[in-house]
Parts: sequence; structure tokens; C-alpha cells
Amino acid sequence: MERIRQGRALDRDRPRRDVLRLAGLVLPALAAPPLLAGCGADAASGAGNVLRVSQPGDPVTMDPQKQGDMVSMNALINMFDTLTTRGRDNKLHPRLALTWTARDEHTWRFTLRPGVRFHNGEVCDAAAVKFSIERLLDPATKSPIVELRYVRSVSVVDPLTVDVHTSLHDPILPDKLSLFGGVVVPPRYLADAGDRGFASHPVGTGPFTFVSWQRDHELRMRAFPRHWSGRPHVDELVFSPAPNASSSLAALQSGEVDLVAGLTPDAAQQLEGYGGVTLDGFSGIRTSYLSLDTLDKGPLGDRRVRQALNHAVDVPLLIKAVLGGKAREVPAMIPHGAFGFDPSVKPYTRSVRTARELLAEAGYPHGFSTTLTASNVDSNVAEALSGLLAKAGVRARVDLLDPGTYSSRLTSSNHAALGPMYLAASTIWTLDGESMIQSNVRSDRRQSRWHSKEADRLVDIEELSVDPAQRRQAFSDLQRLMRREAPFVFLYQLDNIYARNRSPRWKPGPAGVLAMADAEVSR
Amino acid sequence: MTGPTLQQHTTDDGPPVATRGRDTRRLLRGVLVRLGTALLVLFCAATVSFFLVRLSGDPVKLLLPPDATAQQEAVLRSSLGLDRPLFTQYADFLQGLPRLDFGNSLFYNEPVRTVLADRLPATLQLAAAALVVTLIVAVPAGIFAAMRRGRASDRGVMTMVLLGQSTPPFWVGILLILVFAVGLHALPASGYGTFAHLILPSITLAVYSVAVVARLLRSSLIDVLSSDHIRTARAKGFGPLKVVLTHGLRNASLPVVTVVGLEIGSLLGGAILTEQVFSWPGVGQLTIEAISHRDFPLVQATVLLFAATFVVVNLLVDLSYSFLDPRVRTSR
Repeated sequence: MERIRQGRALDRDRPRRDVLRLAGLVLPALAAPPLLAGCGADAASGAGNVLRVSQPGDPVTMDPQKQGDMVSMNALINMFDTLTTRGRDNKLHPRLALTWTARDEHTWRFTLRPGVRFHNGEVCDAAAVKFSIERLLDPATKSPIVELRYVRSVSVVDPLTVDVHTSLHDPILPDKLSLFGGVVVPPRYLADAGDRGFASHPVGTGPFTFVSWQRDHELRMRAFPRHWSGRPHVDELVFSPAPNASSSLAALQSGEVDLVAGLTPDAAQQLEGYGGVTLDGFSGIRTSYLSLDTLDKGPLGDRRVRQALNHAVDVPLLIKAVLGGKAREVPAMIPHGAFGFDPSVKPYTRSVRTARELLAEAGYPHGFSTTLTASNVDSNVAEALSGLLAKAGVRARVDLLDPGTYSSRLTSSNHAALGPMYLAASTIWTLDGESMIQSNVRSDRRQSRWHSKEADRLVDIEELSVDPAQRRQAFSDLQRLMRREAPFVFLYQLDNIYARNRSPRWKPGPAGVLAMADAEVSR
Repeated sequence: MTGPTLQQHTTDDGPPVATRGRDTRRLLRGVLVRLGTALLVLFCAATVSFFLVRLSGDPVKLLLPPDATAQQEAVLRSSLGLDRPLFTQYADFLQGLPRLDFGNSLFYNEPVRTVLADRLPATLQLAAAALVVTLIVAVPAGIFAAMRRGRASDRGVMTMVLLGQSTPPFWVGILLILVFAVGLHALPASGYGTFAHLILPSITLAVYSVAVVARLLRSSLIDVLSSDHIRTARAKGFGPLKVVLTHGLRNASLPVVTVVGLEIGSLLGGAILTEQVFSWPGVGQLTIEAISHRDFPLVQATVLLFAATFVVVNLLVDLSYSFLDPRVRTSR
């Protein structure tokens, strides 16, 4: 720094003026928190009992047709009703639709619940359902929801009856309408408020009405007393993001949050044993597997090698050691609780010796070297898998990618983009086996690395048959075939894990959706 | 994060210019040149961010679930306008800039301007709070160290300060969370809304700036205290603290005011990491999210916002300097 030349003092009040100017900038900004935080105190909201739920992220948008992620859906399902819903018994139950039947191969007919109104009083009828599905499918909506790909058109039969027309028979369309694709939005309100107005103040038919949303901070909802299923038990519902276990713990213990959802087994282990925090695990449906490149010229083209890998990966040990016991073994891709799961298909016996014998038989007495690719969020599991494979002589170098790169390669047209072996998982909220195998089994699908005419035939049966018994049989045959041919290393389905304090009483369904209409709190 | 470097400003200039007209003209020309440079910098930042972010991959792959079909991806890509030629997209982007129109966020599906406006207050709050912390801590520390020059207490204070400058802010943040939130349960670990939420992140963000300001204040105070008129003041029998506060501080504050101005820029930059650690819902956290979602328009806008902040702050500091520095101003 240069020196102030001696004998030249500054203007007397110069520094003081600067200080004042800075203070002028700073003080209003400091005064802002209480203004912005006007909603921080519950006393101010006048609500009786409040339930505060946190999950790992914040919703993307309040427009239910412009989001496709579970975090957003978990919040929105409380303000919007879907046509069908998945009960805790894993069965499909009526919601806005009372009944549904396949009238022919290309038509599903839904009869609607009478007397339902949106939060603003608008009537929810067949026209609203038609409008909702058409809005979802309109490219201008830019919807990331992809399940309704076979829907061609919707026609109104009478005010309480709609027909949904598909290009080919879609046996699980009613299941697909139990979440993302099944939300009904108000046509008149949308016409008045526009997309932007709708997203800033959403209106649905759901058990809670929208109050306010501050991105990445909190979403507040109030009980809707005129909901068709009756008023929810809690007066207010608040959703907030809690990005890591330590902040969840602090929030639970200080009473800022009652229920923390979406915990990874890792995070759950960090919360274990703290006073005032209870951990609940429920069977979930997020299913993990290793995809093997059977089209590869190398060892993975040999069925015996693929079977050896399944013998070598000790899934129960993996669950105990890495996942804190919070998962369940899956014998052949389709998880317990999903339609098509066949309990008579048993998991592989876990034996390093059998694995080595099979490898030797296939011409690899000393094992072989390969790569195991995974998204870096699954690094623990990937490293453990590599360790288990090493016991049988398979040296799998773990290659971790950032989630963005990982998903780009997963869906690229180059089926080898993620290398010979990669760790993948999917959450099949439709609870139908079809969703688990639709993109990775049939030879013409993007993530398929297995060409089997028999598998293709079975996929066609389960995807196109109208008769559920036929579908079930196809799923059983397919699971036996997959277990024999081992195009994947079958792993586990993760539990849904929740941490809570003493106040909330609530049980999730299998998909772990945070529908809180029947939740209770005691203070 | 490194702090911005101070540019060398006009030093001892030639003979003072006599007429005020020429003076104003010269000043005006300087301002215009500076403004031109600033615009050029912003244009470069916009261009670089536009092309760099597009190297990261295809955003449509992240917007749709893995079981989407290629056809569904193509439909979304075209409705987002991402299938148009790169140059067309670039031209569009540049055309919107003068109107401050950055297009629509791919991820949030609403105008980038709205998304940014939602997040800006939180970041400004955090930066302002950190600035207050900086001044509250750095000014007394600088004065104390200067008065105790060379003694153990001076070295102690300066070592602490230097330690703060060389520790990465996210690490400071994590340590503070461990001690005050997880260990002592005294303060919230993350979140936003109350004064308590503001304390840890603003301290984290301030640590680096405290060091910069305190060290500079100390060295310029030491310079001033060894000058003639201070010796005169001492001779008059003023106490050491009074001498510092009445005579020393005023002369030493010029470079400090400058560096505080520049620190505002680096506070905004530092907010990126700090906000991430404390899940503070500001522009910093938004930037990281936008990058991981490959939200092209949003990344472009946040990069521009940070660049603009730095450019504007630098510009203001430069201009104020010519008014503040007695050797730059002409004698009247």
C-alpha cells in the first residue's frame, strides 16, 4: 500500500462519512431477517397443532405437472389428489376415481367421485380430468413426467365418466395414475391465473391448502376442512429441506422438525442412539442391482461367470455391514410387494467357493479384472461390492462418477457407456414389476445389455396382456429365466427410514410417499 | 477463494493541473474508459459461461427419469429450445442481456430473473452480516496489534488472524457446526429465518475478510504512527490510544476503506461455499444447484451476477479513490 504523504491530512469528516455510508448499507440488510422471518414463529400463524416434516431436498416447483421427482411429489400429494392411490396394503384404492375398468385393449374407463371441489370452489369433474391429462401431454408444458407415454387422448363420457385412450394396451395405467401422472388440476383457475400464477399459488382438491412457500426454506400448508375424506388431523403442515444428518438431528432435538424422511442408511446410523430421536424403518421399494454387459466379448458374456458373481456377492452381509440392516434381499430384480413378485424364486446361495469353481469352469481360474461404475452417492456400496468380488478373485476397480454424468451415460445410446458393470437402482412407485424391468431387459430398450428372445417374449406378455393372471405367470417365468441367466447381480430393496421426535403418529405406505392427511401430532 | 487484488492507483503524479475544466475532462475520460472495460469484462464472462456450461452435458438427461424414451427426450429438448443451433441460442442469450432477460430456468421452469430475485435477499443479508462481523472484529484487532507492535500480544493476534485467512471457509463452517450446533446445541446447524440462523454462517464468511482488513489496518497504522505529526501529537502529551483514535486512524483508514469495498465482492464469492455448508437459501447455493442440474440459463445468470458485482465494486472503489486520495485530487 502506498503511504499517505506526510503533512496532508484527509478531509476531516471523510472517514466518518464512509462509515456512515457503510452503516446505511448494512443496517437495513440486518434488519431484514425479522421481516423475512415473519413466518418463523408458529404463534404468529394462529395454527393449533402443526406437523413439521423435513426431507433431503426442496420441491422443484408447486406445479404438479412440471416436476418428476419424489421430493416434490411428497409435498404436492398433500395439496393435490390423484385418480387412484396406493394403500398400505399395496393395493390400488379409489381416490378421485371410484372405479376403473379396461373397456377394450385401448380404453380405460374411470368413474369419478361426485361432489369434489377444488380449494377455490371450482368443480372437479370429467372435464377437469381430461384437461389435466392433456395439459401433461402437451409438449408446451415441458412436463418431465413420462409414465403416460401410451396415452393418446381423453374423452368425456358424462360429467363423472372419462375414457382414457391408449395406443396399445397399458395394463398398469391405473397404477401410473396413483402419483405423478394422476394429479388433477383446476382448468378454470389455470386459465385465469396462468401457469406462473398457478405455480406461485397452487390450487388442488387435496387435504391441505397452500399457504406459502419460501424456496429452500419452508412450505406451509393448512388443513382443508371441506376435503371429501374429511378434515386432516393436523391444522398445519410444514415441509422443509434438511440436507444432512447433523442438521436433521439438531432440528429434531430442538423441536424445529417432528419427522425427518428420506434418510439414507448412512444418515440413519448417524442419528441412532440420540435422546428424543426414534428411528422407524419400513419395507421400501427402491431396488438396487448391478447391470452386467452380457454383450461384451469378455468374461461377462459367459453365463457361468455371471452366476459366479451372484454367488460371490454376499447380499445379506452387505446389508448388515453397509446398510445397517435396513434393506431386504431381492432374489431376481422384482422387489417384494410389487405385482409379479414370485416368492418361490429364491436368492442365490452365497459361496465364494462355488463362485471360484464356476469361474474356473468358464476359463478364469485366477479370476479377471474389470471395472465397477457407480454414482458417487453410492460410493460405500460400490466399494463393499468390489471387496466381496475380490474374495472370489474378481478384481473390480471402482469408478465413481458425479450423479449428472452417471445419469447421462445411463441413458445414452451407447449401452457400454458405464462400462462392463455398473450399480443402478430404481424406485418403482407403481408397485408393478413392469416398472422395474421396462427399460433394462427387453433387447430394444435403452438400458438393455442382454439379448434373449425368451425374455423379450415374456416382457411383451406382461406389458400387453389384459388378464392379470397371464401377467403374473409371465413375471414368474421371467424371474426364473433371469435367475438362471444372471444378466444382473441381484441386490436388495432399501427400507424407507424415518427419524421422529415424540409427537407425530404416522405410517408410510410402501413407496414412502409423504401423504400426511391421516397423520396425528400430540404436543 | 482469494481476495481481489488491489490495483495500483495513480501514485505521485506530475504537477497539479491548474484548471478545473481540464480536470473534469480527464476524470470523465477515465470514467468512460473504466465503464468500457467493465462492459467488456461482463461480455467475456457471459460468453465464457455460455459455452463452458454447455460442455457439461445434456440437461434433458437430468430432467427426465432414466426410463424416458429417446422420443420423449427429443420432444422436451425441442420445447426447451435446446435443439436449435448453438449460435442461434447464443445470439438469443446476448439479445436478452440488455433487458436483463436471462430466459427461463430449465430446472425450475420459470424466468431466471424471478428465481434470482427470490434468492438474492438471503445472500445480501449474509454478506451484510459478515461485513458487520468483519468490522467489529478486524478494527479493534488491527488497532491493538499496531499499538503493541512487535510484542507477543501483537504476534498472537496476527497469528490467529492469519490462521483464519489460510483456513478454507467450508472447513471453518463445519467446525463451527460441530462445536456450536451438534456439540453445544446452542445454535441451529443450518436453515434460515431467525437471527440465530445468521450467526454461524456470517462468522464463517467473515473469517477471511477479518484477516485481510486487520492486517492492512495494522500495517497502515504502523506507517502513520511513525510519521511526524503523530510524534508532535505525542509530544503534546496525548495518551497513546487517544493519539491513535484521533490522528492515526483517520490517516490510516483510506486504504482500509478501499479494501473493505473490495471485500464486499469476495464476501459474495465466499457465500457460495458458506451457503452450501449451512444450506442458506441464497444465490450461492442456487449456483451450485444450477451447475449440478446443468441449468444453462441459470448458471449463465449467476456467473454474470457475480462478475457484475466484482466489476461494479471495483469501479466504485477506483472512482472513490480519485476523490478520496489527497494526492489524486488537485489542490484548490
